[in-house]
Amino acid sequence: MNCERDEEMLSRGLKSLAAEMESLEAPADVEMKVLKAFRARQVVVPIARRQSSSRYWLVAVAAMLLIAISVVVLRWTNRAADDPRQAVKQEETQPKPVASDNAKDQLAADVEKPAIDSLPQHARPKRIRPASSRRPASAQVANHVTNEIATDFIPLSYMNAASLQDGGQIVRVTLPRAALANFGLPVNMNRYNEQVKADVLYGVDGRAQAIRFVQ
Amino acid sequence: MTNGLTRRMNLKSELNDSELLRLMLAGDEEALALLYRRRQGGIYRFALQMSGSKPIAEDVTQEVFLFLMRDGHVFDPSKGSVSAFLMGVARNFVLRRLRTEQLLSPLGDDPDEDVSFNQPGSEMCPLEDLTRAETIESVRKAVLSLPAKYREVVVLCELQDVSYGETAEILGCAIGTVRSRLHRARALLLAKLRPATDVEETGSATVKSARCFA
Repeated sequence: MNCERDEEMLSRGLKSLAAEMESLEAPADVEMKVLKAFRARQVVVPIARRQSSSRYWLVAVAAMLLIAISVVVLRWTNRAADDPRQAVKQEETQPKPVASDNAKDQLAADVEKPAIDSLPQHARPKRIRPASSRRPASAQVANHVTNEIATDFIPLSYMNAASLQDGGQIVRVTLPRAALANFGLPVNMNRYNEQVKADVLYGVDGRAQAIRFVQ
Repeated sequence: MTNGLTRRMNLKSELNDSELLRLMLAGDEEALALLYRRRQGGIYRFALQMSGSKPIAEDVTQEVFLFLMRDGHVFDPSKGSVSAFLMGVARNFVLRRLRTEQLLSPLGDDPDEDVSFNQPGSEMCPLEDLTRAETIESVRKAVLSLPAKYREVVVLCELQDVSYGETAEILGCAIGTVRSRLHRARALLLAKLRPATDVEETGSATVKSARCFA
């Protein structure tokens, strides 16, 4: 009985408290502050957002253009390197040396071919490959691009084809112009003291096999 | 000019809270003003009844609407109403504020901080007025002395007249939890209020209290 009465009194007290507070509201200055903050956001934030979004799109478009240009340039470069017709055209524009590496190698191979054919399979030496054939296509193109005139390879006294079986290496060196005379080539005495470029062909044994002069 | 503004405000006042929120997020200041005027009272009273401090209630009301401006897009209509969302935000701010300021016992010694809701000038006779004011004050103090998890259900269900379902949404718990907490909260309130009433009526508060809650 008392509990029910207490419950009733509590409910009445809570209702009175609720009714007492029902009319309470936040002061007007809170609304002013909220609206002021809203206006400040409207001024600052949307502009910042617009700037950031436009900047984002600019960066995105620039990145896309950069990627597209890079892809086009890469494809063009690769096509130029891979296209043999283009390489041939470029080669044709270059003055041909009197005898190229390939001709020299072919000559050596032709000389030794009958002897090699007579050998059993396991005893046959490996085919001599010219150094230029092992180079990447891009390197080959790069060589053609340079405007150089070269003499034929002049064999050195101890050259033999067997030392080139496993390949060789061409090394660009600079020599005094007087060295031309050692190979029976004419020397302009007015430019006697100048340097001249030369390619030295080394075998796998590390010995110089041939030399050509480049201008 | 003023008539046009008033007409626009009248048209918008017919919109529901979700539509006002959408307009507000799109930059409509009138929508914010309407939403504020519609919901600030409940939020302010909730914060005041939870904290017993007017400055805290004002701060919380302001923070709730600042939050709404900043993060209003997180509101999901499928999870509840805007008012429940706002009240949930207000609850979080109040609890954080109480924790921060260590005002879990809001019955401070400072008489200026202690809020009294008596409104002088009522038409009752002075004795009835005094009795009613004392009752309200004692209930208010009892509510404020409750632990937070019981206080919030009393404030929402008893003082704010929020439904159990909406209270569950605000608190993020089941309706059954709301019911059990409210039951427990009422028992605690009775325990706090009974000694005073018993002393007035019989003068043996301890005996009555022991008999009822044995």
